[in-house]
Order: sequence, then C-alpha cells, then structure tokens
Amino acid sequence: MNYFDLTYIFLFLPIVIIVYNIMPKKIKPAILLLASFVFFFMISKFLIAFLLLSILSVYLGTRWMSKVDRKRDEVLESTEKEQKKEIKNKYRRRKKLILILVILFNITFLFAFKYLKFFTLNTNFLLNCMHVGWRIKVFKFMAPIGISYYTLQAISYIVDVYQEKVEADKNIIRVSLYLSFFPQIMEGPIARYSQTAHALYERVRVNFQNFCFGYQRILYGLFKKFVIADRLNVVVGKIFSNYQNYDGITIFMGIAFYTLLLYMEFSGTMDVVIGSGEIFNVKIPENFRQPFFAKNISEFWTRWHISLGAWFKDYIFYPVSLSKPMKKLTMRARKGLGNHLGALISGAIALFAVWFLNGLWHGAGWTFLFYGLYQFTLILSGNIAEPFIKDLCTKLKINRQNIAYRIFQSVKMTFFVFIGELFFRAPTLEVGFGMLKMMFTKIHISTLWNGNLFKLGMDKKDFLIVFLALIVIFIVSILREKNINIRESISKKNIGIRWLIYYALILAIIIFGAYGPGYIPVDPIYADF
Amino acid sequence: MEKLIEILESLQPDVDYETTENLIDGRYLDSLTILSLVAEIEEEFDVEIPTVEIIPANFNSAKKIYEMIERLREE
Amino acid sequence: MKKFFKSIVFVFILLLLVETLTLVLLPGRNVKKYGVFEVAAYEILGEEENTIDVIAAGDSLVYSSLSPMEIWKHFGYTVFDCASAAQIIPDTYDFLKVGIKSQHPKIVLMEANVLFRDPAKKKQENKLLDYLKYYFPIAKYHDNWKKYITYGRKKNWANVYKGYKFINKVEPATEIHPMSGSKKRREIIKSNLQTFDDIVKLCEENNVKLVLVAFPTQSTWSSKKHNSTQDLAEKYGLEFIDLNLVDLGINWETDTKDAGNHLNYKGAIKVSKYIGNYLESTNILKDHRKDEKYKSYINAYRIYYQNHKEQLDKIETTAIE
Repeated sequence: MNYFDLTYIFLFLPIVIIVYNIMPKKIKPAILLLASFVFFFMISKFLIAFLLLSILSVYLGTRWMSKVDRKRDEVLESTEKEQKKEIKNKYRRRKKLILILVILFNITFLFAFKYLKFFTLNTNFLLNCMHVGWRIKVFKFMAPIGISYYTLQAISYIVDVYQEKVEADKNIIRVSLYLSFFPQIMEGPIARYSQTAHALYERVRVNFQNFCFGYQRILYGLFKKFVIADRLNVVVGKIFSNYQNYDGITIFMGIAFYTLLLYMEFSGTMDVVIGSGEIFNVKIPENFRQPFFAKNISEFWTRWHISLGAWFKDYIFYPVSLSKPMKKLTMRARKGLGNHLGALISGAIALFAVWFLNGLWHGAGWTFLFYGLYQFTLILSGNIAEPFIKDLCTKLKINRQNIAYRIFQSVKMTFFVFIGELFFRAPTLEVGFGMLKMMFTKIHISTLWNGNLFKLGMDKKDFLIVFLALIVIFIVSILREKNINIRESISKKNIGIRWLIYYALILAIIIFGAYGPGYIPVDPIYADF
Repeated sequence: MEKLIEILESLQPDVDYETTENLIDGRYLDSLTILSLVAEIEEEFDVEIPTVEIIPANFNSAKKIYEMIERLREE
Repeated sequence: MKKFFKSIVFVFILLLLVETLTLVLLPGRNVKKYGVFEVAAYEILGEEENTIDVIAAGDSLVYSSLSPMEIWKHFGYTVFDCASAAQIIPDTYDFLKVGIKSQHPKIVLMEANVLFRDPAKKKQENKLLDYLKYYFPIAKYHDNWKKYITYGRKKNWANVYKGYKFINKVEPATEIHPMSGSKKRREIIKSNLQTFDDIVKLCEENNVKLVLVAFPTQSTWSSKKHNSTQDLAEKYGLEFIDLNLVDLGINWETDTKDAGNHLNYKGAIKVSKYIGNYLESTNILKDHRKDEKYKSYINAYRIYYQNHKEQLDKIETTAIE
C-alpha cells in the first residue's frame, strides 16, 4: 500500500476516520497509533520490531535524561554559586553519554539496513585492489518502511530533549504516535516533536470542515501524480535506459521531465500526507514551498524537501560549525582572510558534512554521493562569488531586482537543478556523465521539429495535457507564494463556482489521469530512501 | 544595539534592520551569514552563543538578536 | 443535517457527471439498445449486430493466444474474444448469452480450462472489483478522450483488438512440461457440469457449432484435464481441439510473456493461424475481406497493423526465410 493507492484513500483512511470518531475520547490517540502500526505492518510485516525498538530506545533515553536533569536541579539548589558550573558540566556529560548511546543504537539499524551492502561491496573492491585473498560476505536486508524518516525524527527528539528545547514526554503513546503516525511514516516530512506531537494527542473528533479540506488537499496531490508524474514516467524511463539512442535535445528533455516528475510525485505525496493529517486536525509541516521560485541553489534547498534540509541544518550544520574547535578556526581564519571568507571556512566544512550526509541519506551509491558533493560545490561557490558578483553588478549598473535579472537567475538555477537530478536518477556515475556529455555534444537541432519527441510514449495530446496541468500548478504556486490560502478563498465563493472547481479537478483526474493500459505508474520514489 | 546593526549591515547591507522582523523566515540571512554573525557577536560582545540559541525566534529581528545577547550576558 | 444533505447532492451530481462522460467516451455501438454498463462490460455488444462469425470465450489464455486480426488478415473471418482473467464458467455462460443474442455467430470456441475452475473460490475482493468495474467503466475507457479529439464522434472509433491483448513482452520458460500422457481424470465439479450443459443447450437452440479448445500453456493444462474434457466432448458429441498436443512450432524461449504460462504475440500468431485453418476446414464461414458491411474489421486491421508494424513485419520476414 502507498498513499496513492485507492485502498489507502477510499478504504484505509475512511475506516480510520470512522473508528476514530466513534471511539471514546480517551482512546482516540490509541486508535491512531493502532492504525499506524497496522499500516506499517501491512507494508513491512514483522520488521515493525525495529520501529518498536527505536521508539522504546528514545522513550527510555529521554526519560533517563529528564531524571538526570531533575537530580541536577536538586543538587544545584543546595550548592554555592562557584561550583554551579562544574556541577552543570558533570550532569551534562552524563546526559551526553545517554544521547550518544541512543543515537548509536538507532544509527546502527539504519546502517545495517541501508548501507551494509554498499559498504561491503566497496570494501571487497578495495581488498581486491590490494590483492587480499578474502572477501566479506554481502548482506542485504529488506529495510523497514520509512526507517530513514523515523530514525531522523527519533534523533531530533532526543537531541531536543538533551538541549532542553522540549521536555521528555512521559506518555509513551504520544511518543510512539509522533514517531510512527501513518501519513508520515513512509516519506516524511521529518517533523519535530514540537510540531506534531501535541496535535496528535488532541483527541478532537474529525469535523466536516477538516474532512473536506483534508480531502481537497489529497485531491490536489492525486492531480499532480496521476495527470503529470505518471504521464511523464514512460518517456523518462525510455530516455534514461537507452540514452545512447537519443540526441542531446531529447536527453535534455528527459532530464527536465524527470525533475518535473520528481517534483510532482514527491510534492503530490506530501499533499496526500498533509491532507491526511489535516483530517485529524494535525498540522504536518510543509515540505515544499514553490522551489522553482528560488533565486539560487542555496535557496532552492530551503524550498524543496524542507524538513530534511532543516534537519541537517539544525542537527549537523550548526553543531558542527559552532563546535569549539571550529569556532577557534573561524577566529583565526577571519584574522587572516577577512570577515567574509574567514567565516566561510568553518561554514564550508559544516556544509560539506551536511551534503555528504544528505547524499548518503538518499541511498548508498556513488551517484548519490556525487549528487551531494555537486550541491555542496554549487552552494559554496555561489557564496564565495557573491561579493564579486555584487561588485560586478554595481559596476555594470545592473539592477539585481529587475525582472530580466530575476529570470536569468531562475533559468540558471533551474539548469543546475536539472544537472543535479540527472545524477540523482542515473543508475551509475558513468551513465550520468555519458548523458551530460551527449547533452552538449550530440545536438541534432532537427529533433525540435521532425516529430521524434512525440514518439517516446507521449503524443502531442499528452504534451498539451502536461502543459495545461502545469499552468494550473503554476497559478496555484503564485497564489501560495503570495500567501493566499486557496482552499479558504474557494470556500468563500458561492456554491456553484465552488462545486464547479471540485468537479473539474475530480473529472480531470479521472479522464486525464495517466493510468490503465499503456501507462506505467511512478513508484513512490522517496519511500526507498 | 547600534554596534549590532553595524555588524548586520556589514554582512548584508540590503535590509532595513530597524523594521524587518522576518530576517530568517524571509531569508534575508542564510545559514552561512548566520555563522559570520555569530562569530562577530561573540567577538564584539564577549558572549558565547550555544547551538540551542540558534533558532529563528532569536534571529528574526535586530531587536530579538539584541535581547538574546543581553540574556546571554546576564547568565 | 444540512451538511449531510449537501454531501449527498454533491456525490449524486458527481456520479451523474461521471456517467455522462462514460457515455461520451464509451467506444462501440448499440448503447441505446443495451445500455451503457452492458456495452462497457461486454465489448462484443459494441460491434455492429450480426457481424461476428466466431466467438471465443474463456480466461486469460484466450485473450493472450487468439488474435482475431490475424485470422481476419489470412482468412477474412470475424472472430471476437470474450475473455476475462481467471474467468469462471458462469461468466462464460453470460458472455456467450450476450454474444449469441447480439451476434448470432456460427461457431463458438469455448476454452476448456474454465471447466476446472471452482466459481466458489473466486476471491471476494475480485467480486467487489467487478462491481466497481461494471459501474465505473470510465476507468477502462478514460483515455478515449484522445480518440474523441482525433476522430470526433465515436462512430469511427474502431475496436482494434476485438478482445485480444497484444503482449510484446518475452520471458523465456525455464522448464517445459510435456503432457504426461496420464490416463487419470481431473474431476469437474457438478455445478460446472450443469453450467456446461446450459451452454450446450444455448448453442443448440441458436444453431451454433460449439467447439472445445485447450490453448497452449506450460502451467495450467495437464493430461488429466485433457482426458476429462475429452470424455465430456464425447458425451455431447462435440469437437475438442487440444493445442497442447498439436505441434504449432511454439518456441517457449521467445513466444511466452511469463515463463510459459501465457503466450505473447509471437505465440498468438501461430495459434491464430492454426485456428484459422481449422475454421476454414469447417466450411461454414465466408471470407468477408471485400465486404463493405465489415468495414469495422477492415479499419481495425489497418490500425492494428500501424500500431505494431515493427513487430509484425519482423515476423513476416522471418517466416519467409
């Protein structure tokens, strides 16, 4: 089952809503938790044990931490001011030990399920190169669904407790629900404890408005997935698997289509996820904010898969760059290199760590590592170049706010995003570079009018539908960028217009959806990460 | 406060720091700029800013940043 | 309460819209006579009445093995596959009843494997799915908006495959199971025998020649099933063609789509030629290739050939070699 399955939308979700509503207030959270476990079990069967272990480790770890805190506060009350710092440090060390233990415990599972195979294969390759006679046996396990997501949530929660940003929760049901809420478990967003935990435990009935708003959001996600993403899938698959047979223009189209497919599939899934949460009055944080309206790559990553970027920023970037040795490095570098570049050094190291791990998080493979390093290089060079570009623009009297310059920025950024997603999708680095090379060297301009582009699985009518659907997405994006609540403003319209919009959306999905013979649906891409 | 605004302007001059109240949420300051800012503040005001304090609520306006500095000084 | 009432109205109007669109996108004729759902469920109702010579009924072995267009090309007979996945014999009866009533064919080829499938074991969820499919045929026909734009009104939309499913995939069979030659019988359950009796009567009443056929497969057919079917055929005085005992020249390395369970188009072409020859030998049917009344098949063949030019031409050239 995935979020686009009709069984999820028309069977699982309604059943959960009904049971949730008829059950007494007291056990409503337990119902949600049960539904989440059932959902998990339906996909991953007994691997649910690993989810339970993670939950338990985090729960016990945080409880233990709060015990240490209480003890510290007791001791602090009865000590002199001079000794306070020392006592604080003593207890902090104890908490740190718990923190490290719990994180290691969770990371071990993640490593075993996701990276062991890649790791052993490459070790064996090295052993081979060094002419060592023995090899490590290769293991590959079926990973529990969503392990990459709930592990990061678990880490964020225990770090937040460690830093006393949130209190350690006594209620194990709430903690479990926070870590395994069924709409989020498969593909995120990676929420913080402070964002969803309490809303999940509010125990309010599903009301008519939340139900309607939730399903409207889900409908919008279905539109993105069925009308656009699935329609592009056949063409993308063909171009990537036989790229040698095509020319540069076709390959470029394949890359652009893949980026679009990824955007529509993932943000569409998020619409279903957030809509599902909305039904139960849970505000799941947004994971996308009109990414293609960004000015540069750095901003792009604060608008695409927001929750992952935010996680890396808070739990990798700042802790690394603001650690004591890094701060010392910064101070020294600033004296030698000046303010801008000096601060950049520790930033660059932290940024490297972020993108190395970000690449790795997406999967064990050289393409993903390259993808991470590529983003790192772009962001860093953008930052280093920034003062020079600014100077240049002032000298050339270019107004950086004017529309032509903004369009230039968008085109440049989009192009860089395309190249990144090319390596994201390519099966090997070799293929990625091969496609990149062909994109620039084997250009047959006649492809644009000889009709070959329509022979890849999408005819002219399909192109037209994608184009029209994108206009809808574009208009919605502009409204969102202007902070207009679309569903709110639709619900204020009179019933005729309102229903017309809903009917149009539903019928568009039914008629123009790319399902049935001749189409291949996109598999949930981010569920594999 | 004036010193703080001076620092801010040296890092990112295109913002009116007296009035803007969404420095982080409005993406006026990105994470690398924050790093420079933290380093400058620590040097100028002789405080230590721990990671826990690096949240949008503390950095969204010059006033908020100053409040955080004051608070850290007292501790 | 007001909200509840409103929701009902909303859903009602939605259903109305969906069914209206179904009417627009549904291919085929005779909708007025038989109704939207019937024409959608039984594709054969969409054909011009009394133009089909042969109905082939049965499970997935039928729609993957017998290509009416191939028979049309070589013999000029109009064949239609009335097949569905894992078909049970009561469904076969329904298909035949509908088909015979609207088409008055001269020959019915009934696939023998359905005799051995227990209707009671049909999965409950499939039944629910069948209801959905019946009342929302738009899921199957939604893509016809393209035809609507290209050809306008549906009169011109040719049903290209006539019930056949063109499968291009190849997955070689890993093992080959020749018929064991066992003398044992596989029992046919009572209710199936009863339904078969009904089918025989239906054909007799309508003057249709009923022929039992077993299609080539490496997994679902056996000598035991063959023997039981042979007994049954003899009891009713029917012909029984077991294609598993005939050398059709099927190469199980290249002619199957799923390791020997079903044939792909290469296998289907071989089966279709054999069946065409058999139909010719009965001396009941006429060649309609030059008959204007059979325009639907003439058009269909043209599109069928266009759609699969690459594969079909390759077959022709290898045949000549």
